[in-house]
Amino acid sequence: MADILREIEAQIAGAKAAIARQNVGVIREIGDGVARIEGLADAMLNEMIDLGHGITGLALNLEETEVAVIILGDYTQLHEGDEVRATGKLLQVPVGKGLLGRVVNTLGEPVDGKGPVKSDVAYPVEKIAPGIIRRSPVRQPVQTGIMAIDAMIPIGRGQRELIIGDRATGKTTLCIDTIISQARLNKAAEDAGDKDYRPLYCIYVAIGQKQSSIAQIIAVLEKADAMPYTTVLASPASDSAANQYLAPFAGAAMGEWFMDNGVDALIIYDDLSKHAVAYRQISLVLKRPSGREAYPGDVFYLHSRLLERAARVGEKYGNGSLTALPIIETKAGDVSAYIPTNVISITDGQIYLETDLFYQGVRPAISVGLSVSRVGSAAQIKAMKQVAGQLKGDLAQFRELAAFAQFGSELDPKTQAQIDRGKRIIELFKQPQYSPIPVEVQVAVIGVVQEGYVDDVPVDRVKDFQARLTEFLTTRKTELLRKIAQEKALSEALIAELKDAADQFKQAWK
Amino acid sequence: MKTARQTKREAERLFRLCLVNGLLDEGRTRQVVQRMIESKRRGDLALLSQFRRLVKLEYARHKAEVESAMPLPADLRASIQADLARTYGPGISASFVHNPGLIGGMRIKVGSDVYDGSVRARLAALEKSF
Repeated sequence: MADILREIEAQIAGAKAAIARQNVGVIREIGDGVARIEGLADAMLNEMIDLGHGITGLALNLEETEVAVIILGDYTQLHEGDEVRATGKLLQVPVGKGLLGRVVNTLGEPVDGKGPVKSDVAYPVEKIAPGIIRRSPVRQPVQTGIMAIDAMIPIGRGQRELIIGDRATGKTTLCIDTIISQARLNKAAEDAGDKDYRPLYCIYVAIGQKQSSIAQIIAVLEKADAMPYTTVLASPASDSAANQYLAPFAGAAMGEWFMDNGVDALIIYDDLSKHAVAYRQISLVLKRPSGREAYPGDVFYLHSRLLERAARVGEKYGNGSLTALPIIETKAGDVSAYIPTNVISITDGQIYLETDLFYQGVRPAISVGLSVSRVGSAAQIKAMKQVAGQLKGDLAQFRELAAFAQFGSELDPKTQAQIDRGKRIIELFKQPQYSPIPVEVQVAVIGVVQEGYVDDVPVDRVKDFQARLTEFLTTRKTELLRKIAQEKALSEALIAELKDAADQFKQAWK
Repeated sequence: MKTARQTKREAERLFRLCLVNGLLDEGRTRQVVQRMIESKRRGDLALLSQFRRLVKLEYARHKAEVESAMPLPADLRASIQADLARTYGPGISASFVHNPGLIGGMRIKVGSDVYDGSVRARLAALEKSF
């Protein structure tokens, strides 16, 4: 016993603590989620500031005599005169596969009551996007499972595709469908032991949304078994503007981890209009000069630096990718407002959803004329290109002719045929929510339609025809579907087989 | 009516007038304050309080506050003073405070820099690490 005592005493005598220099300051003013701090002479931009009581702040304005800090969390416990200290660290969030299946807040802290997040790596929230050298062109498709998108507005892995539309036009549903489709594909590949399939993990960032909506989305994802491949980052409307402003950047950091580790990821920012509003609030409180619609001058840079972080990196750099689907809510269909035009110009295309179409029963309410994917057919499998290459042009032509036909004049048979085909294609693209369609079924169905098998089917029965055909193909022609999925192209033999199957089905269908 | 920004700018100009070789000159500072009070211009009070703030910050930058758990002997005080002058330049003045709340060790604050070697700080760090 005496030995131990002596040992401890010797160790105490020999112990020498190194004293590090700390940078401190004093809160001079606090309010509206912003603290103005005197001191903190060595603070860095975007540095985490320890405000005491377990509350963190972020240094955003560095001025001559003071530092303005946005407070992440509850600031009611902080008082004027409190001492704060700089941490020397930039704001960072936990990243990694441990976040899959979890619901976290802006700081990466779990809010789903499932215990701590398993992660030993942290990424800075603000990071410069991959440079030109590291990038490679977008080639692989993201199968959204939504026929209208996969056929006409294909999205590639590493692309940034804007989803834009008025309130209640199905923007979020479109994204949730995409997440569910990825989860099904990932699971199918896992079950089949397919080594070639590159799984696509999803991150859903909810910015300024109602807690009830977020809870509903999580319930839908859980019901569809999509949560094991998904991270939900929630910054609801009750969060401070600072948290809402940082949420998409934190989500991007989580996605970048996948990209850096050679994995594909998809991130959904729902939505960037509310994000811009949160940033406007912060900027006004920080007394930064305001510009158009009171947004600060750097609101374009805010979104461009965020969306630039989506990329496909080259083989040498791990071959990972981060696909971004930002959402923008327009007011009364006005795409020429400030934030919508900004984000349209940053992204590689947009999917425009229209209220009119939605209430006409065309759901998803995608406006074919205004929607575009600038990466285009490079991110489509060959089979889809073969059957759907002409589709967008045909539909555009149909709209023009349909407007013309409204005058009720006599039409020549060719024009009439085009209009009839257009009506049927529009019917074909109607799709209920949360039910993505596998790509091979999409190819087969569009192929059958393009071969003219539905031309004699009444328009109001096209949906029934499609449902029965899908059932027929998935139950009796699984071999054909498997070949399409595997070969990813329609050879002469496959086309013949598809026609043969369509003939068989047509005989039985009434 | 002067805006807050104008007041700030003017206070900074006045403050710069009081600097001699980068250090605040007490004589000049007194002179500036005296003149301003005598001139009785509008908005002077706001200007003076802004000026006071700048002087206070400058003063804090060149003032070292040394807290210790026990009163320090004169030779230790002199060596601390010399060390501080080496790090922060000759214009630094140290004030020594006896604070038993530190339990043990010393805490030195110069402007926004803090060197905390007190037992209290280490206990707080230990508590946080749990």
